[in-house]
Amino acid sequence: MPALPAPNVHDGSEMTSFSGLKPLAMILPGLFLAMFIIGYPVADLAYTSLQEVSRFGKLQGFAGFANFAEVFSDPLFWSSLYRTAIWTVCVVAGTLLLSLPIAIMLNEDFYGRGLARVIIMLPWAISLTMTAVVWRWTLNGRSGLLNATLMDVGIIAEPIEWLAEAQLAFTVEILVGILVSIPFTTTIFLGGLSSMPQESYEASMVDGATRWDQFIHITLPLMKPFINIAIVLNVIYVFNSLPIIWVMTEGGPANGTDILVTYLYKLAFRFGQLGKAAAISLIMFGVLLAFTILYVMLVSRGDRQPEEVEEG
Amino acid sequence: MASVTIRNVEKVFGSIKVIHGVDIEVAEHEFVVLVGPSGCGKSTLLRMIAGLETISSGDIMIGERVVNKVPARDRDIAMVFQNYALYPHMNIFDNMGFSLKLRKRPKSEIDRKVMEAAETLNLRPYLQRSPAQLSGGQRQRVAMGRALVRDAQVFLFDEPLSNLDAKLRVTMRTEIKALHQRLKTTSVYVTHDQIEAMTMADRIVVMRDGRVEQVGAPLELYDRPGNLFVADFLGSPSMNFIEGNARRSDGAALLETANGSQIPLPENAPVVDGQPVVLGLRPEHLSLTDPEEGFAATVKVVEPTGANVEVFFDFAGQEVCAVFNERYPLVAGQKMAISWLPDKVHLFDGVSGQRLESE
Amino acid sequence: MQSKLIRSIVYWVILSPLVVVILFPFGVMFVTAVRPRDELFVFPPTWWFSEFRWGNFAEMWVKTSFGQALLNSVYVSVMSTLLALALSIPAAYALSRYRFPGKGAYRTFLLMTQMMSPIVLVLGLFRLMVALGMVNNLNSLVLTYAAFNMAFTIWMLQSYFNTIPRDLEEAAWIDGATHFSSLIRIFLPLAVPAMAVTGIFSFINAWNEFVLALTMIRSSDDFTLPVQIYSQVAGRYQVEWHHVMAGTVLATVPVAIVFSWLQKYLIRGMALGAVK
Repeated sequence: MPALPAPNVHDGSEMTSFSGLKPLAMILPGLFLAMFIIGYPVADLAYTSLQEVSRFGKLQGFAGFANFAEVFSDPLFWSSLYRTAIWTVCVVAGTLLLSLPIAIMLNEDFYGRGLARVIIMLPWAISLTMTAVVWRWTLNGRSGLLNATLMDVGIIAEPIEWLAEAQLAFTVEILVGILVSIPFTTTIFLGGLSSMPQESYEASMVDGATRWDQFIHITLPLMKPFINIAIVLNVIYVFNSLPIIWVMTEGGPANGTDILVTYLYKLAFRFGQLGKAAAISLIMFGVLLAFTILYVMLVSRGDRQPEEVEEG
Repeated sequence: MASVTIRNVEKVFGSIKVIHGVDIEVAEHEFVVLVGPSGCGKSTLLRMIAGLETISSGDIMIGERVVNKVPARDRDIAMVFQNYALYPHMNIFDNMGFSLKLRKRPKSEIDRKVMEAAETLNLRPYLQRSPAQLSGGQRQRVAMGRALVRDAQVFLFDEPLSNLDAKLRVTMRTEIKALHQRLKTTSVYVTHDQIEAMTMADRIVVMRDGRVEQVGAPLELYDRPGNLFVADFLGSPSMNFIEGNARRSDGAALLETANGSQIPLPENAPVVDGQPVVLGLRPEHLSLTDPEEGFAATVKVVEPTGANVEVFFDFAGQEVCAVFNERYPLVAGQKMAISWLPDKVHLFDGVSGQRLESE
Repeated sequence: MQSKLIRSIVYWVILSPLVVVILFPFGVMFVTAVRPRDELFVFPPTWWFSEFRWGNFAEMWVKTSFGQALLNSVYVSVMSTLLALALSIPAAYALSRYRFPGKGAYRTFLLMTQMMSPIVLVLGLFRLMVALGMVNNLNSLVLTYAAFNMAFTIWMLQSYFNTIPRDLEEAAWIDGATHFSSLIRIFLPLAVPAMAVTGIFSFINAWNEFVLALTMIRSSDDFTLPVQIYSQVAGRYQVEWHHVMAGTVLATVPVAIVFSWLQKYLIRGMALGAVK
């Protein structure tokens, strides 16, 4: 990420002879908590996934990769995986396609821009759970106010059961997913746009570029690192997002809107299949790790330059 | 007041050595300027004196005391930072009085000293304002005032004028110099601006790449630069250099340039036949003369500055600059003749760059 | 001037569908929260209703023990934010001011933990809390929220700390301050706004969290707001939607207002590199 260069070149000069220990002492307490809260579950999941586990969570001995084998032979796992891919790709693609033009507009000066920013950021402020609850009611097949509105306007004659049929319900959930992802993505893009060099635009104007030329030849290339980061972060967040689907349809009807996280949650806390759930957790952890490493690489590539100045 | 002694000091960042064994002696009451291009280590050296940077090896002494391990707060020094480093959440009075407050001085004494300093620096009307409400020059004065109230042993200045506009810089330069002449506090001043160095210093230390190139009084360095770097760095426009090989025949010495031009050198010039030599001539030491007595030179560009005229000549296949107080009616392409007095010639070894001293 | 007016109209026209979709559920929320119960399930559905029934809020407060859930949410959000800040401030200061062995690895670790979502680890976290005997204990949420939020708070704080010039502290040392007193008298006063903003975002994150609260808290006395509202919707034959919507109004509007007020700081933080 093209962060600003470190404001001070003199890094970490210290008079005290124990300066090497002081910063370590400052980061350790937090590091310890994170290691404990995040490290323990990972280790526990890895262990559990290789155990035979009773319905009540008792470990009953080493099972090898039996849990994994069971997961891979489960058609519900594959259909959830397939739907996770659809869910992630659709939500992320939709979000990016909408957020970039929105950010470009919000970055320019127009009457009511402050209000527009506040409105577009609003879904971020509200928990996904609440949003999903409100949409569940809005989409109510009989008395929902979406039906009311569409009937008033004359688009439909009969109320639609939005959440009763898997295909339609999943589509609606994807749309809600896009809606709630826009604020965060737009914020990343606004951060990027605000660091664009104004001179490049002025120079290109002198060179006779149209606004479209500017977008293609200046904005897009300069925004590329921000777009990359928005893609990776959104993939990670959307891939992991439980509340929307959980609250609106609980993965139903008939597992028809299950994605991996909802299926995992059901296995673990409804059906008590802990070994299988641990195996799926671990598989997801692996996927997540791959994306995270990609993200770290993206970030540190942009980060390197100021870092070197700092070390000099 | 105290002297500052820097003895064989080195600084290593990770695996990179940025100061290579520097020795500097700053006498009591002296105003010493460390000057050099950016990255030469002058700021690092100053920060080592201040106690903001550790010393990798060697000793730094303030007065008789070795301060290598002494924290900044106990060194009894005051420092003016490049960006002033005023505390933004305190008003001007509190900024200036902060050090005395930390030392738990009585309120009456703090009031008196801050008032005195404010008086000296014309800051009386601004004492209740916050730093953000002041102009760049006023902030600069506050930074000075913070140092003044301290009665510190040594004043350190880290490029204090570099954020001011050109005009204000000249004014503040004079004020700082006047202040030093009155207070006589030992001062170490870092700048990359050779004019600041020339005008303010009792002695200049020219640095490059973590080494001291030359130490001396301003005019001493200007008149007898010890090597090509110092010769080039001090003076504006800078010294002309004409490269060539020395030729000696029958006691006479001359310089032969790449295009075959021959320029006579003083007879006692310490050069041997074939030696690569650089001839240095300050622009103000060149004069126009009769074609019979001088060397042919073609006018390339004429740049009047108002006070004088800078003329660039094509001379011996190289470009040389001359500064004339006279407003000669010169035009580009004109063929002229230039000359100089033999005792204004600087000679440097073409390989080592060291000054060749006539015996 | 003219062109700005035209641009404003064009932009608002382009943005209007999105604005409508964003505001639509808010309209639904308010209209449902204040309508009489017997006008919830009417056919054909309509926005119209006969009277503002403000009493719905009071009724909901009592019937759903909203107050208890509110207290639980406040407790968890405040405590986890304080814990996260207490651990993040020194860490962010160290990252911003010192060079130390393992700094690069530590940064990478922070990035990784920022990416780790609770949902993937939820089973392991649950087993951890079982092992600690902290299931049904709000402090289990305090610990986990703080741990998962810390990566964000450290990055955010660090990017703001970097904007506080180091030479202010150096000037204080030269003025005779110890490291400790320069921290207290120079650095911290200047860092207060950054800490406040970061704290509020951490608070909002905790306030809105669902999965862990749903998992760790089993008894309705200890529900936080999202779980409490969810529990009135999930697995019920008859949902009291006017109560649910009244609850969401009370739970979201204050947070939404604070967030709207602060969102420009978030954008600035991003510009400073807080996305990292």
